[in-house]
Parts: sequence; C-alpha cells; structure tokens
Amino acid sequence: MSDMNPAVALPGNTRATLRRNFWRGVWRVLKRKPSRMAGAIIVLAFAFMGVFGPMFYPDQLPRDDNALYAPPSWAHPFGTDFEGTDVLALVITGSQYVLLTGLVTAVITIVLGTGIGLFAGFRRGRWDSVLMRITDMKLTIPGLPLLLVLSTIWKFSSAWEMGLVLGLLGWGGVARAVRSQTLSLRERGFIEAARGLGLSTTHIIGRELLPSMAPFIAMNMLIAVTGAVYAQVGLFFLGVLPFEANNWGVMLNLAVFGGGALTTTAALPYLLAPLLAILLLTLGIVLVVDAMDEIFNPRLREE
Amino acid sequence: MKRLAAVAALLGLAAMTACSGGGNTGNSSGGGVYTTIDALKPGLDVNAPINPYNPKGNAFRGYNSMWLGWTKNHMTDPNQFYPGIAASWDIAPDQSSITLKLHPNNKWSDGKPVTAEDVRVSIGLAYTQGGTAYALDPKAAGAASDIEVIDPQTIKITQAADNPSVTFVRGIMETIIVPAHIWGSLLPADFWDKVKTARTDGPEAEAARKTITDLAPKVLAFGPKEDVSAGPFKLERMNPGEALLVKNKNFYNAAKVAPDQVKILNYNGNEQVWGYLTAGKLDNSPFTAVPADVMKRIAAAPGNAVVRGYSPVGNSLAFNQSKKPYDNVHVRRGLAHLINREQVTKVASPEGGTASVTTSGMHQKPAAEWLGAAGLNSLEPYKGGAAKAEEEFKKAGLKKVDGKWNLADGKPWKLTINVPAPFSDWLAGAKAVTSQLNDAGVAAEVVTTADYPLYLEELAAGKYDVGMWLVALGPAPYNIYQRLYGTQNGWQLLAGQLKHVPAGKEGNWMGGPETIEVDGEKINPGELTHKLNSVTGEEQKKIISQLAKAANQDLPVIQLWDYVNTQFVNTNRFTGFPENESDMLRLTSGVWIQLGLVKKK
Repeated sequence: MSDMNPAVALPGNTRATLRRNFWRGVWRVLKRKPSRMAGAIIVLAFAFMGVFGPMFYPDQLPRDDNALYAPPSWAHPFGTDFEGTDVLALVITGSQYVLLTGLVTAVITIVLGTGIGLFAGFRRGRWDSVLMRITDMKLTIPGLPLLLVLSTIWKFSSAWEMGLVLGLLGWGGVARAVRSQTLSLRERGFIEAARGLGLSTTHIIGRELLPSMAPFIAMNMLIAVTGAVYAQVGLFFLGVLPFEANNWGVMLNLAVFGGGALTTTAALPYLLAPLLAILLLTLGIVLVVDAMDEIFNPRLREE
Repeated sequence: MKRLAAVAALLGLAAMTACSGGGNTGNSSGGGVYTTIDALKPGLDVNAPINPYNPKGNAFRGYNSMWLGWTKNHMTDPNQFYPGIAASWDIAPDQSSITLKLHPNNKWSDGKPVTAEDVRVSIGLAYTQGGTAYALDPKAAGAASDIEVIDPQTIKITQAADNPSVTFVRGIMETIIVPAHIWGSLLPADFWDKVKTARTDGPEAEAARKTITDLAPKVLAFGPKEDVSAGPFKLERMNPGEALLVKNKNFYNAAKVAPDQVKILNYNGNEQVWGYLTAGKLDNSPFTAVPADVMKRIAAAPGNAVVRGYSPVGNSLAFNQSKKPYDNVHVRRGLAHLINREQVTKVASPEGGTASVTTSGMHQKPAAEWLGAAGLNSLEPYKGGAAKAEEEFKKAGLKKVDGKWNLADGKPWKLTINVPAPFSDWLAGAKAVTSQLNDAGVAAEVVTTADYPLYLEELAAGKYDVGMWLVALGPAPYNIYQRLYGTQNGWQLLAGQLKHVPAGKEGNWMGGPETIEVDGEKINPGELTHKLNSVTGEEQKKIISQLAKAANQDLPVIQLWDYVNTQFVNTNRFTGFPENESDMLRLTSGVWIQLGLVKKK
C-alpha cells in the first residue's frame, strides 16, 4: 500500500504542474499582445458589471423632469433618457439580462451542439443519420421569423427563458461542425490506439476526443454569446418583446423612434451608449477568442 | 413610431397636409408641386386599386376622393360642414331630411358632369359597406329611409322616422362620392328594391341584407384603370416612394386650385416624416408626434412653421373592473390622485398634448363649452397626491407593508399597464406613470403588445388589467361618451334596442357597474349616452353634465392628456395656410387647396 502512495501522488502532481503551466501559458499569450489583455479586461469588466453592477443602483433609478434627453455631463456621462434617467445607469443595470441571456444561450448551444455532434460522429450509422436529419431540419428553420412569432405568445420576461429559446434555436451549426471534427478525429492513430488498448468509450470521448476539440468548442461558446446578444437586442429593438426601460434593445428603439436620435443630436448619447456596450462586448470577445486560439493551438505560438 | 399618424388615422381626423414642394421637384407650369404625406395612408401600396372604400386604396381624401361635405368637427356642433361635392344643403329643423344641391358646373376629370345620380349610386355602394346613415337594420338609429333624386343637381335624403339620431346629417355628409358611369355596374339592377326589402322584417329582409353585404368584397376590390375624380386632383401615377396627382381642370373651383401637381410621399414611421420635415420637403404635414428636440430642428428649417389647433381626442388609462383591485372605485381614485398628469404629458407628448385638467370623458375644450367654467371646476381635479391616495387606498382595504401597497388579502399588488409597442408616446406615458406609482409604493410595470390591432383584440378579450385607451372622440357628444359607456363597457345597441351584457362577455372588458349614483340620483350611463343620439338643447346639456360627473367620480378611465393637433406648414412655396385653432386643421390640406385657401407664393 505504501508503494502505491507515490504512484497516486505523481499523476496528481503532474496534473497540478500541467495546470500551472497552462495558466502560465495563458498569461504569456495574453501578455504577448496588449490587445488580448484588453480583450480579457473588457470581458472581465462586463462580467463584473453583470454580476455586481445593479447593486450600485437603487431599484428605482432616479429621474429628473428638468433634464429630459440631457446632454452628456460629468453627472450623466451618456446623458439622460426620455424620463431624465441616467443612461449609463440604464446600460449598467440592463447588462445583467443581456449577459445572462448570452451565457445561458452559449451553454445550451454548446452542451446540445457538442453532445449531439459527438454522439452522431462517434456512433455513425443510424444514429448519425437520424440526429443529422434533425439537425438539418433545425437549421432550415429561420431563427428571426420564428422568434417574432414566438414573441406574440411568449413574453420572455426572464433572461433564462430568452436564453433557453435562443440556445434551442442555435445549436445546429455547432452540432454539424463537432460531428465533422469527430468523424475526422476518430480515424486518427491516437484514437485507434486508445481503442486497441481497450479503453472505454467514455474515456475515449472524454479524454481523447473532447480535449482536441476544446478550443473549437470554447470559441464557439464565446461567439454564441455575441450571437445571443445581437438576437435579443434585435428583438427588443423591433419592439416585439416586453418593455424594460434598461434593456439595451429597448433603449435603441426608444432613442430612434421616440427620441429621434437619427434626426437630431439630443437623443444620440441615448442611442450610442447601448451600441457602444454591444460593440465593446463583441470586441472583448473577439480579442479573447484570438488569445484562445493560440493557447489551444501550440503551432500558432511564436516563441 | 407611428404614434400620432396612427392615432389620426384611427380617428378619421383628416389631419394631413399637402404641401408644396417646389424645391425638390421639377415644376410644371406656374402652379408648382405641392408635397405632403397622407396621415391616413402610411405605407403607399403601388398595386392597390384606385378605390376610396379600400383602406389601402390609392384615393386620397380631399385630393382625388371627395365627400358630399367636409366635416368641421366643431367643438359642440357636429353638423357644420364645408362644401364638398354638395355646394349647399338644407337640413330639416328636426333633422328628418337633408336636401343637397350640387355645384352646377362640376365635372369629373373625364369631362362627364357630376350629378345627383352619382350621389345615388355612391349611397348604394355605401350600403354595401355599412355605416351609420346607411344601416340595413330597420331598427338602427339615424339611418336613411328614402333617397330621392329631385333634379340632376338636387337630391333629398330622408331619415327613418322610427329611430332618428342627430348623427344622421353627419353620416350623409361624409358619404364618399364616386362616378356612376364607372362604379354603377357594381350594383345589380334590382339593388334598390333589395335595399327596401332589407329595411323590413322577416326572412326575405334577411336574405336581401345578405345579398347587399355580399357585394362588399367586390366593391372593395374594384378599381378603374384610370382615375376619374371629381376632386381638385386626379391620380397620375404611383411609385413606391410617392403618389403623383395632377390638377383636375374640370373641378368646379379649378381656377382657385393653386398647385398644378401634388406629391404624396410614402412613409412607414414618424421618423421618416421628421426627416422630410427637417429637410423642408413638406409644404404641410398633418398631426405627427414629434420629440422636443426634433421639433426645434423642424422649426429651424427655412420656411417651416408650426400650426396648432383643437383635436377631438384624448388619451387615458382604462381599467378592467372585472379584475381586482380595479373593481374598487377607491383604488381607481387613489391612482388618479397619485398620477401627476403634467409630468406624464411632459415625458410622453410634450409637443402634441396638454395634461388633462381632470377626468370628465371629454377633451378640456369642449368640456368647458358644455359644462361652463363653473361646471368644470366643480369636478374633482384629482390632484391630491400621495396623501389623498393613501386615504383612498385605505378605504379600499389595501395594506401598506414595508412601503409597498398590498391587496386587501395581503397578496402583493402589481399594476401592469399594457400598451401597443409602436405608439412611442403611449409607451413613454405608461413608463412615466409606472415610475410615479413605483415611487409611491405601488409596484407597477409596462408590458407591450406587438401591434395595435392585436392590442385592441387582447384588450377586448379582457386580457389586460389596465391599458391605454383613446377617449373624447368628438365632436358629437354621443361619440364622446360612447368611448366610456359603449360596447366595451357592456352597453350594446342591437336592432335599435340597448341592452347591457355582463362583465367579461361580448366585448365588455371595462366591466363597470350598470348604474351609478350621481347627485343622489341613480343613473344608467349607457342609456344616457344612447339618449345623446336623439336629444338637443338643454336636455343634451343636462345629460352631458350628468355623464361628466359620473365619469369623474366613477373613473372608468383616468384621463392623462388631451391631444393638440400640431401640424407643420412651409411657406417657401405656398401661402394661405390655416392659422392656429382653425377648424381647417381637422381636414386634409386637399380640402384647404380645393376651397382656394392655399395660394402660390
């Protein structure tokens, strides 16, 4: 038994070392380009804003009747809205819904897409045919019109509901891509070797296949977040979803159609603030994806 | 978005504008091009027929589509008109008949004279579409019973004696007139016999009514290849961006019609109209909701001017009294005290509305006329604020826990205001109301519905607790109070008989009580409203006063703001536009032009 102890400890140590090396690698990759660092900071800042932002404000944001559509100032960096509410406060308190929707969508997209893609690609045969026909069918359903129809009967009042629907609509592409990757990887030598060693399917999928596809999946996950942000902001902008004054899409809608932001400058900051938030979030994600690419793909590392 | 334009369309307020557009268009000879938009037709349809009965039809009221007379929408007298196809009219003192004289030398754009036969055929077509004066139901109020062509220029229309209404004259004058030689073939040879039979009782009458109403789709789909107009203009061509109309040389007043051409521009939302206005393109634009800063830019464009007038319409918060706690009058009164209408109006409709002075069911201007200053002042103004609201809520049994008002049974109370998403002024107003209520401890939220037709459908189905509702749709007092004590509140007029249906049934979504005690007397507001159809003078005044008090104390709705008919004109190319408060502002600028008001600069 005593002999076994070092043997058990060694893999643990190795894993810890690997993890340390991984984070060291991440840090190196981020440091190499300041833009990547900026991306990571932006994404972290948005995460912080989504989690803690609303805590800095009262439930009812203050309004000022004498400052409707006020221009930017120190007190209101992005001016005020039609009720005299600080636009920055609206963007910050509204970020929770947007980001949570993005996250829920991304998780559902990835879990479903990866699960179905891996299963179909690995099993092949009848399972593959059935699952891929379902995927193809799902891919032919146009997302936006379906969402417009759905919104007449479902009010999507919570971010979880919105994320669930967007996730259920979005996994098709990921499933297809993961399946092709699986099909290609399963013919490679290391998988054949694993099979030859009599390793279990769980082991092959969990330890051999998934890690090889991790970068691809992680990137898709981040991209799914931006897709979800666009989709829901678009729906709210079109005015088909419930009104929430601090929703970014609602803000865009009211700035254009209520405030005349495209005609005069008064409501322009009200329009620009949520736009800028979306732009920054997208930029942050793109930059992090760039870093990820290199972290997971050693060939890209320029030493 | 389409807020005011949509509101205007709803009301049939032909608020539009025509305007000159010299700057942006090639002028033909001396008269120039008038550029405008049609408030009744957002989104021009190139393929729609030239058909004034079809809502999408390319017939533009006042330009190439004519009524017998143009309603002035006078504050208290619904029977005042400007000449249209009729040059003059003689209304019998008891309104039992109206005799119309046509312009002696008016011709259609194809050269044929406009005659009483054209009016008769047009009335026949109106029967297929229904309408107050042309109801086929023998017991309907204010329906025509006899149409008699006296000579080619004179026609007499008699009102059915068994159920007369003061709305009869207006119903007749608002008849659309189309050429008999083009449209006459749509009516079968035995049409007038069928109308006669339809206006009796029994199975034959029922069959005749069906035959006539079955013609409706055919009439709606019909359209001549070329426009034949008796208006000041005829449609020359349509394209997706605009409708081009040219002067009808045969029009009776053609010499005084200033522009040679009219361009009616396409628009799909208010912001497009703002763009046209800031560019100085429109010679006149009808009622369009405009944010304050956009207003400044429009006013700053060379030649642009703002004209304001009375508009017989107000906006309110309506309750579904079948739902708790809105069945309790003290809850409604408490809310009325809490809502600061000035602040709501400032946020929602700074340029197109004034805060309602109180809830009377009427726009404040006719209210002052009907009730007098003393009468109006005697109404509860609902300006008590939080203290008064607290008193009322307590009377209703509501309980305040941790600064939040709960229902009498201790459950949390959430007030949800429903609004159609495209009406940005309603949305902003509803948001302002919920902000005020939340401040006062009433949890409140706004929920939007995708579009207006769906909103009305869901409202009627009783799906909402509280929603925005247009009120005070004058000028006839019956029409005004019908918005509070009509079908939506349980009073239905069937075959001339008024009946009250229970809350939640047959479109009764307001669910108010059938009788209300006013000044110690039990009144039935639905019956009184119905009576407004037939009474005049002092009796009419008395009923209006009773109804105003009933609305004021019972609050089926809380009036928020009264609309102001804010229009824009541009004097760079044309002059002679109506001034502030002119009744002309309630008609399209096609009417201003045909009456010779607008002059080339």
